[in-house]
Amino acid sequence: MKRPQLSSRDRAAALALGFLLVLPVFGTDFFIDFVMTRTMMLGLAASSLIFLAAYGGMVSLAQWLIFGVAGFAVGNVVAESGRGLRLGWHPWVGVVIALVVAALVSLLLGALSSRSTGIYFLMLTLTYAVIGFFFFGQVTTFSGFGGMTGIDPPGFFTGHPKRLYYAGVVLSALAYWGFRAIGGTPFGLALQGVRDDPVRMASLGFNVPIHRMLAFTLAGFVAGLAGVLNIWWNGQIDPTSISIGPTLDLLIIAVIGGIIHLEGAWLGAFVVVAANIYLRDIPLVDSIGGVIGDRVLAEERFNTVVGLLLVLIMVASPDGLAGVILRVRDALSGSSSRRAAGPTALEGTRS
Amino acid sequence: MTHHYERHRWLRLLAILFAFALIAAACGDDDDTTTADDTAADDSAADDSAADDSAADDSAADDSAADDSAADDGAADDAAADDSAADDGAADDAAADDSAAGGDDVVRLGILAECEGAFGGFHEDVTAGAVFAMIRHAGATPNSTTTALDGFTGASVAGVPIELVGIGCGDDTADRAIQEVRTLVEQNGANVVIGPLSGDEGIAVANYALDHPEVTFINGISGAQDSTLHVQAPNFFRFNGDGAQWNAGIGDILYNEAGWRTAAVIADDYGFGWTSAAGFVADFCAAGGEIAAQVFPPLGTTDYSSFVQQLPDPDEVDGYFWVIGGTGTNASLEAFLNAKGDLTGDQHAGNLFFSPALAEALGTDIAGAYVGGFATLPGDIQTPEIEAYLADADAAWESLGGGLTGGEPAPPSVTLGFGFAYGYYSAGLALVTALEQVGGDLSNNHEALRDALSNITLDAPYGEITLDENRQAIVDTFVAQLVLDEESGEVVQKTVAIVPGVTQTFGGTYSSDTPPPERDNTPCEPRELPWQGNEIPVVDGVPQE
Repeated sequence: MKRPQLSSRDRAAALALGFLLVLPVFGTDFFIDFVMTRTMMLGLAASSLIFLAAYGGMVSLAQWLIFGVAGFAVGNVVAESGRGLRLGWHPWVGVVIALVVAALVSLLLGALSSRSTGIYFLMLTLTYAVIGFFFFGQVTTFSGFGGMTGIDPPGFFTGHPKRLYYAGVVLSALAYWGFRAIGGTPFGLALQGVRDDPVRMASLGFNVPIHRMLAFTLAGFVAGLAGVLNIWWNGQIDPTSISIGPTLDLLIIAVIGGIIHLEGAWLGAFVVVAANIYLRDIPLVDSIGGVIGDRVLAEERFNTVVGLLLVLIMVASPDGLAGVILRVRDALSGSSSRRAAGPTALEGTRS
Repeated sequence: MTHHYERHRWLRLLAILFAFALIAAACGDDDDTTTADDTAADDSAADDSAADDSAADDSAADDSAADDSAADDGAADDAAADDSAADDGAADDAAADDSAAGGDDVVRLGILAECEGAFGGFHEDVTAGAVFAMIRHAGATPNSTTTALDGFTGASVAGVPIELVGIGCGDDTADRAIQEVRTLVEQNGANVVIGPLSGDEGIAVANYALDHPEVTFINGISGAQDSTLHVQAPNFFRFNGDGAQWNAGIGDILYNEAGWRTAAVIADDYGFGWTSAAGFVADFCAAGGEIAAQVFPPLGTTDYSSFVQQLPDPDEVDGYFWVIGGTGTNASLEAFLNAKGDLTGDQHAGNLFFSPALAEALGTDIAGAYVGGFATLPGDIQTPEIEAYLADADAAWESLGGGLTGGEPAPPSVTLGFGFAYGYYSAGLALVTALEQVGGDLSNNHEALRDALSNITLDAPYGEITLDENRQAIVDTFVAQLVLDEESGEVVQKTVAIVPGVTQTFGGTYSSDTPPPERDNTPCEPRELPWQGNEIPVVDGVPQE
């Protein structure tokens, strides 16, 4: 069953990982801390969305909520003053609690939504996101609309942005290979069967809702990891951090990257983060949208540009940037061999 | 069977990815080039050694790239390596220069303004405030005659040039404020930041200041209590009152002059709303009043009907105190009109958001309502300092499109006479004054500058400002009333009293040990406040000393 040697996809990913590991040597501090660390965090969160979409056929808008839940959990446990529970416990205890909470919340939400599919699943998870926004806004025991600020990472990361970047790289790598490995396990294969034909899988004796629920929990755990990194990086979180806008941004990242390719999570995240940061330096962008005659890149304008980018990419390649890269690869190699549309039920069993 | 092809394809794919990534890295470097010279002081010794190593590492990277990929990649790689080497070198040199001098020799000013959200209409206003301080006191020239957003040139104080490196665009959320302030500091290299505008942003920026001792932060006009009383960042200064301070005296006057005994409070559900409501509650209760109910709608709510329904009816309470700002003020009052009946001046009062403009939409019955104070005094008080300030503003630009006129061009004095712009102006004035005092000494993380800022007595147009030990302003505030102008038939604001020397501790009500104001955690109890009975009455715009 198992391949004796690494596949070329693994080698490509390994080299990309190697590149990311040496990047801090020649990238500037700002580029590493601001662009690449965020790329890793958002990519990690998006990979959980893509895992659910590609392997389980579930497009979830609740991943950003769980990302936020982990952040709020860290904030409540770690902060000594300000708002929330103010427990003032050690940051690493906060991490453990945050991940447990994130996994439990995803287990609960996964159980609630495991019997819906398609557009109903999408709407249900969107509802979770909205409920989460108002929950943290209204319940001042945990946050309130002002959110929580001044949350410090563990001492190991304080004042060392590059360590946080490496944490993002390592966790991203673990998530990437972890998700792919799970795709090849009996559970993963059954999950892909559920994606392709739930009725047939049920008649074969598989418990379809439990497979969906467990996949959702697993993805929630990964989104929680990203949420912990995010609050370490940002130092604060408030309900607007998990409002509809950022929730949809995560879906946009996944779609830009290619929602059926795990690699697309990080590609999409890089494009969106870089667009957010660098587009404001392009003079032409000034003439797009804008409010009250301002000269600064406003959110609406950024969204306009990202929207155009999204349309361009979707027209050029329905399966996102990862799809573009596959096309380019095909063109270069001169072959037009069949391109697997995402992971197939056979993945992991090829020899 | 297809594995051989796949391997080649993946190698090519990898090569392209690699090239992309390297170009991206190079872009990152390029971007920093623009600020590398400026941000030199931020570069630490660690960077230097990294730069030294980079040559070796780059060549290693080249080798591996050459092994694995096509010639194109090598080219891209080289370019990237060259770029980074050059950039790092430049940064190194500058860093060396600076460390020799022991600190910055230029003020790189970032303005954290607000272009979206409930206060997005005041982007021009707050920017104009900070820019006007540079024009009026540091010899700057505005880059445009009709907007402050184009910035200024030629500012310098005691031989130290002041450059504007960026104007941040907040949306009244802490999340966005942090993104913007990080962009100003970490990307644009600001070493002094003026801002932000709104409460929760202020708390977030003060916390950010704790982690960035190399940057000096002077608050714009944000008024949440925690920013100074609880966060206590040694490099965060606030030359304006907080929301509670601005409401000092109004509870006393409502109890003793208007005869209120019970009041209901409706306030925005965020840091400033809580602080402002807490100020009223503390003041009103200190005089002997009681709070019947408190309701907290989220900031930026559009339909307030469900929140207004939670308030007691007009016959169950003596009055209502409104702390709803920005786009919500009118919407909430209209919801009250529909649900509970008329808005009458004797039964309604509000904090600074209760402006004469309300009468345009809601009718003149609101005349008689008391209004809490803000950073500037109402227009009926004129002193030579205020007149000079407003005249200079009109001379600095032809017109400005500020928030009070909905972005339409108006004389700059309209914008600068309002508290939002004035808060940013005071911050700029404090920076210039302190820089002058220390002769432009920015060494040792701005140590001398910060000492000067802490101990300054700021001779500002609307009154002197000093700071307490938490670097929070001690201010004179005022209580005003909306009155019907007999001649024009319009509702205008008239100053009723000036409340001198209001401290953030509110006569001992608050300290760093009390929890920061939240929805309704300010205890309602009678107590002595220093200004009770000591308010200076104002008659026809003249304080009766």
